[in-house]
Amino acid sequence: MKLLGWRQILLALAGFGLIVAALLIAGAVPAEAIQTVVERALTRPAGWRNIIKEATPLLLLGCSVFIALKVGLFNIGADGQFVIGAVCSAVVALNVPAPINIPLAILAGIVGGCLWAYPVGLIKAYRGGHEVITTIMLNNIAGFLTFYLVSGALKDPNSQQPSTAYISDLSKLPNIIESGPLRINIAIIIAFFVVIATWFFLKKTTVGYEIAATGENPNVAKFSGINVNRIMIRTMTASGGIAGLAGALQVLAYEHRFYGNFSPGYGFDALGVALLAGGNPLGILASGTLFATIAESTNVLSRTGVPKGLSFILLGVLVIVFAAFRYRKEANRGSDS
Amino acid sequence: MRGITKVFGPVVALDQVDLTVESGHIHAIVGENGAGKTTLMRVLYGAHPANEGSIELNGQPVSFRNPEQAIRAGVGMVSQHYAIIPELTCLQNLLLGAEPSLIINQQDAKSRATDLATQMGFQFNWDQQTSELSPGQAQKLEILKLLWRNAKILILDEPTAMLAPEDADLLYAKLHELTQTGATVLVVTHRLPDVMEHCDRVTVLRGGKLITSIPVSQTNPSQLAEQMIGVSVTHHTLTESHPGAPILTAENLTILGDKGQQAVKSASFILHQGELVGIAGVDGNGQRELFHALMGLKPFQGTAVLDGQNLRDLSTQQRIVSGLRLVAEDRHHEAVIESWSIVENTSLGLHRLPNLKKGLGINRDSQLALATAATEQFPTKFDNIRQSFRGLSGGNQQKVVVARALQENPRAILAFQPTRGIDLYVADLVYRELIEATRRGITALVVSFDLDEIMTYCDRILVMNHGILTEVPPELRHDRQAIGRMMVGATP
Amino acid sequence: MDQILNLLASTSGISVTTLILSTLAYSSPLILCALGGLFSERSGVINIGLEGKMLAAACATAFVGAASQNAVVGLSAGIGIAIVLSLLHWILTQVYQIDHIISGMGINALALGGTSLVSKTFVELGGKDAAIFPREIYYLAAWVAAAGIWYLFRSTRPGLRIFAVGNDPDKSRQMGLKPLRIRLQSLLMTGVLTGLAGALIATNAGRFSDEMTSGRGYIALAALILGGWKPWPTLLAALAFGFFGSLQLILQGRDLGGLAVPGEFWQALPYLITLIALAGMLGKNRAPAGLGQP
Repeated sequence: MKLLGWRQILLALAGFGLIVAALLIAGAVPAEAIQTVVERALTRPAGWRNIIKEATPLLLLGCSVFIALKVGLFNIGADGQFVIGAVCSAVVALNVPAPINIPLAILAGIVGGCLWAYPVGLIKAYRGGHEVITTIMLNNIAGFLTFYLVSGALKDPNSQQPSTAYISDLSKLPNIIESGPLRINIAIIIAFFVVIATWFFLKKTTVGYEIAATGENPNVAKFSGINVNRIMIRTMTASGGIAGLAGALQVLAYEHRFYGNFSPGYGFDALGVALLAGGNPLGILASGTLFATIAESTNVLSRTGVPKGLSFILLGVLVIVFAAFRYRKEANRGSDS
Repeated sequence: MRGITKVFGPVVALDQVDLTVESGHIHAIVGENGAGKTTLMRVLYGAHPANEGSIELNGQPVSFRNPEQAIRAGVGMVSQHYAIIPELTCLQNLLLGAEPSLIINQQDAKSRATDLATQMGFQFNWDQQTSELSPGQAQKLEILKLLWRNAKILILDEPTAMLAPEDADLLYAKLHELTQTGATVLVVTHRLPDVMEHCDRVTVLRGGKLITSIPVSQTNPSQLAEQMIGVSVTHHTLTESHPGAPILTAENLTILGDKGQQAVKSASFILHQGELVGIAGVDGNGQRELFHALMGLKPFQGTAVLDGQNLRDLSTQQRIVSGLRLVAEDRHHEAVIESWSIVENTSLGLHRLPNLKKGLGINRDSQLALATAATEQFPTKFDNIRQSFRGLSGGNQQKVVVARALQENPRAILAFQPTRGIDLYVADLVYRELIEATRRGITALVVSFDLDEIMTYCDRILVMNHGILTEVPPELRHDRQAIGRMMVGATP
Repeated sequence: MDQILNLLASTSGISVTTLILSTLAYSSPLILCALGGLFSERSGVINIGLEGKMLAAACATAFVGAASQNAVVGLSAGIGIAIVLSLLHWILTQVYQIDHIISGMGINALALGGTSLVSKTFVELGGKDAAIFPREIYYLAAWVAAAGIWYLFRSTRPGLRIFAVGNDPDKSRQMGLKPLRIRLQSLLMTGVLTGLAGALIATNAGRFSDEMTSGRGYIALAALILGGWKPWPTLLAALAFGFFGSLQLILQGRDLGGLAVPGEFWQALPYLITLIALAGMLGKNRAPAGLGQP
């Protein structure tokens, strides 16, 4: 099987050229930029801490997008589900006493995410409305709704910004390792186990087999006795639940409050993480870490004057080039005979 | 056409085939599935360039690299699957690709189209959506499309496959009229009666090789059949049927079609243990809807009972678990996932059976055993049981699909055109296995558009016409003409 | 409607003329962008990259217009970059056969990153006023484009061919059409129209700022869907969105006789309406049948 076609190589080169050009326009010398990244992001505990922090939502949102993709749906709406999950979780964490506060806050995040994804599956299954359009609409509605809430009803009166108050220490998820600047929160462990659970669910269970059949060919799935509408709606809802969980952990483990424009555009990153994982959910562990590392690297670079726009270019190129290679692989698999 | 050779990968589809067609003739190309008929026509029409050989048109050498060049030279083809886009109106479909000018004058185009249709004795409402056309009307539109493009040589691929016998006769009458005005018609078909009755000359292909090309007047159906198949088919005597207890009972089934019409009207039948029952009829008379309703893919009125269980209470999955199996009509869109392996595909649909369960998942050992059994049912050619299904040839794919329905103790098998796309030898094998299975105590219902197939293999014959299901009386069981009359709703 | 206008006029001194002008300013980029999307989607190419094209065009118009002090050069640069991104979408979806959604998202990311990079790098230039065309030209262009597209699809050869390819590329190919070429032409038009839309956004604001299209590419997509992929209904939907958008801007900070509707509600309204339409509560969805097919 030939994996590389000249077209794919050409595209990869063009992408590489674009990244170098972007660096040069920004006035950075590529070699120096790499050195900065290695010194400040990759080899220091503080850098590791940030990468782990960044990887938590990316792993979970990657799983969210991945299982939706498996049933044949593009969940562009992980962003909206994440934000809704976060706000639900923050409200519970602020108002419910210990010790049930943390479990309830996590549950609230999951339920919020599920509810925000449920109509997507419903509209797709019964109305044929394209899930990408529905989720784009829901993302924007989630953005405006939560912004309205945190600048009104949920606003911390002592804050100048549209933000809730900070949650109490009793509601925070604990760090399991604290040594110097290195901190590892239990949230990353939860995220890790969700990836493993996703792998087990999709690869080892009968329902996972049915999800895959539906994603590959819904009509064949229907003829094979699979209730396609139900499985689409449920998978989409589960996808939203995982995104909501990501929102909850973001509040409980890292941000400790909810504020306006809570997601820095995780929706696109999540799609990239899921795509780069390839066919196996365990790949999310690698692709999520990669994306987190890129985020931290561009963060470090931005402190030396390289604009943050670079990270979007980097991720855009990465996703496009990878998608082109993946197609090539599929085309090859077809012509084995 | 001289010395045409066409190679697809390792497969030689056409081997040094010569073909001479006289103008003004209706020329039939006959052969089995996979004999190379359609490929030869596609070479002529520019859809597949030949690897070797030459084509001359009216004495001039030509080589078409795409259908566009062919149509400009006056050669056009109507494929078995019509190139009509349902979202477009009749007029838009007629014009598409051959618009008279950059800005289309609707009135002018309509009147010219009407003139053309009148010449052929056709009538069209040009503003009608083509999704509403019947197969017969759609075919007329296809022929008009070729004439609109000034085609002088018309190639028709299985033109009567979708038509009732009377419509088929009408079509050939029109084609005759066309040849009177100087057109030449090439008909790809496997229906020998059509050839004998309506064509001037016939070319027989077998395994990609030219067998003969002679005037129809100098041959006869049995000679042609022998030439198509190579060896004369010896009709083995089939084991006698001894029907037992009823397995699947249907009473007054009424099923609505996609357009809200009554596709099946109050159909009743009983399938007994030990018998293979066939449904004869022209495509589109409710067979599809009947099968879909029995499988739970469509709602129905009336009662259907499988082994004492009311089907209405069971989901598709539960029906499969209870022993109902479907050999679906359209392999790619209904039966298999081509990117999956043979193993993954053979368990598809059967994956909820108790035998395949293991905890929350699928028992991998039973899954593999199932795949092995399914591929051994018929001699299936493959490299590796975990290879992608796409790598199998069409015939081998179909064998696996039929074999899958025979696994894991079925009770009633519904088979829609089970021999579609496979050669006569394997088709015979498929029917034999189905019959064998029924003799071991199950039942099977087959839909086929090939009456001969049904008459050869089935124990009882039902006929479906406009949604009405009737049984052929035992005394007419072997009367081809009588059954043919029943297929179009006439008294037998 | 009259009552609202009267109420507006009496309570806040907003004249109908102001409202009309503001509606035009707000809706014209949406119309242009949605019509650009119409070309793409009618030919069967899903385009969620409208936002990115518009953003890139706004950026190029502002910066090149400021650097050259020539309105023609500025606008050409805006349209040019939108065409380049449109061509990239064509190459990725048609030649590389990447999923249309992924390609669209990727292009949005490139545009977002690229424009932010440019604006952070050429800060001085960003502060200068760009040479621009009067915005009325764009308003006119939007309506002329709608009329032109309506005529194109009603009774011309290219219109029929785009329509056919968008519904069934395979059968169109059988009829001698070249789907790849037809989609290329359609996407060129998408580039031109989204380029104009972006240029107008830059013109309205006077200069470029990061993420200045603020999701309007998605609102345009919503208008296209609400309009059933037809030019006049799409224009009407965009016009309605523009009206509510400008109403919201005008009403900000004013008391409306006890009517206290939060600004976020007006901003979310286009998305809400589209969601309701997608749920099938406003009649049947009629998307081109071949959307996203190779």
